[in-house]
Amino acid sequence: MTEPVTAPPRRRRPRGGTLTRYTTAFRTPKGIAAAILLLGLVAVALLAPVLAPGGYDEQTRSALASPSGSHWLGTDEFGRDILVRTIYGLRTDLSLILTAVPVSLVIGTLLGLSGYVSAWFGSLMQRVLDIILGFPGLILGIMIVLIVGAGWTALFTAIVIAGLPGFGRLARGGLLTEQQREYVLAARVLGVKKSTVMIRHILPNVVDPLLVQASIFMVVAIFIEASLSIVGLGIRPPEPSLGAMLNVGARYISELPSYVLGPGLVLLLLALAFTLLSDALNQAATRR
Amino acid sequence: MTRYLLRRTPSILLVLFATSVIAFLLPRLVPGDPAAVVAGPDAPPETIAAIRTQLGLDKPLITQYFDWIGGLFTGDLGQSLQFRRPVAELIGARVGSTVQLALLAGLFLVIFGIGLGILAGSARSRWARTLVEGTNTGFLAAPPFLVGLLLILVFGVIVRLLPTSGEISVLDNPNFGFQYLLLPALALALPMSAGVARLVQTSMLAVRQEDFVDLAVAKGVPPLRISIRHVLRNSLGPAVVALGIRFGDLLAGAVVIEAIFARNGLGQLAVAGAQGNDYPVMQVLIVGAVFVAVIAQLLTEISLSALDPRVRLG
Repeated sequence: MTEPVTAPPRRRRPRGGTLTRYTTAFRTPKGIAAAILLLGLVAVALLAPVLAPGGYDEQTRSALASPSGSHWLGTDEFGRDILVRTIYGLRTDLSLILTAVPVSLVIGTLLGLSGYVSAWFGSLMQRVLDIILGFPGLILGIMIVLIVGAGWTALFTAIVIAGLPGFGRLARGGLLTEQQREYVLAARVLGVKKSTVMIRHILPNVVDPLLVQASIFMVVAIFIEASLSIVGLGIRPPEPSLGAMLNVGARYISELPSYVLGPGLVLLLLALAFTLLSDALNQAATRR
Repeated sequence: MTRYLLRRTPSILLVLFATSVIAFLLPRLVPGDPAAVVAGPDAPPETIAAIRTQLGLDKPLITQYFDWIGGLFTGDLGQSLQFRRPVAELIGARVGSTVQLALLAGLFLVIFGIGLGILAGSARSRWARTLVEGTNTGFLAAPPFLVGLLLILVFGVIVRLLPTSGEISVLDNPNFGFQYLLLPALALALPMSAGVARLVQTSMLAVRQEDFVDLAVAKGVPPLRISIRHVLRNSLGPAVVALGIRFGDLLAGAVVIEAIFARNGLGQLAVAGAQGNDYPVMQVLIVGAVFVAVIAQLLTEISLSALDPRVRLG
């Protein structure tokens, strides 16, 4: 993140400036804890090929070995190191949520704001979002698996679609309060195009709650991946994901508890990091 | 009430209609020929043709839709491709298991959610509140499947108190059936009750600031009566809404919980159906799940107006 002073002048905002506002989020205890946890987890995931050059499929001679000095979490049913697979699983999970959630954020926001440019399209999109909201979480995921087939793509699609109602409704709510404000009317009187007003004038003023929601939805996205993978409709073996490891690990829970505890703990830390981040962002956004 | 129901009917029907269309189109959205997908890679053409007739893929789309919907209304839910048995029979054999799980989990959800919320919303001593808030935050972060795995580890592996796998119907043997049901229901209810508790807590703290509470104190109403009659009753609104919305989550959570605890319920049927591309089964389950979620939401709004006369259903 760049210094606020070096930010280009045309992006500066009247009250405080966006960047300063978000950097204050990382000066609170919650924000610091979230940043440390997240950076740590991302670093471990990025360094996976360095930490474990053999990859997630490297086998040893002993299957289902107990935790020891050489294998901190023991080995799985094929003699593969569980810690190594957990780290590669974390990589899969991060690659999924860090791409799917932003995509969902952008599409959902545009759908929500679209009512400004075309009123009937905006209302229609709200009805569509209502219908998506009517589906209980996992049922939506299972339906997408039926269409796309189990795997990364299905999980990605499921997360993107599941997030749309949340982002779309928040953006729509912001739009409805902002579109009658003087600065919007002034911009229209000056002859600025509606689509430009939507992106350049309205969007920056409704972006705060959307970013908080994105952070909250990261946690939901992690749980969507884990739930679908646990029932065997997510990431396909041999590729590891945190949920897929819990799926197999649950079968060996009495012989090797670390098979479940390791990935479970990483999953909790990941969820905790994003929960803290959303709290910190929320505080920074409401305290103007 | 009648007027309210009449006013809500169109939007409910719209959601159900949209769901039925999506569920109906499901086999047709799959890339390629669904009949070939269902039949498997090495199926002879006659088998594929037979499956195509069975799925009704050889008739016009509109006719297919009305045939299918008509079947749903008359109880003919179709034939499972995977199990080669009527869908109604498959669902009938499993619905009891899921209903038992959902009922007990729902009961736990109400007891723990509202109970914890009252405790946190009225505790005078600071540590009691911190304790409740601490447990709440812990459960808020933990999803049902992790709580379930943890419960299995503690009560099934370390202490060996309760069975963690399989099931016996409560109706056949109340004692053993309940033992098999206890852990899954707890795993399902505990994480969700944290969210409900937090809502009860915040709204109780807000209601306590209202003038009518001051009036009650001034009148000399005993504190317990104030908590129950004046504060709690006015704080339950958001909790009821949350319970109604979470009923859909409860159903979705049941899918995962059934898998972890090896219960043979509707969730397991859905998973098997999705793995085996069993479209007739999945179509009925999807419409059924959305139907139940919509009805739960409707009941929520009705009970909300019973709690708070200011909420008019008109």
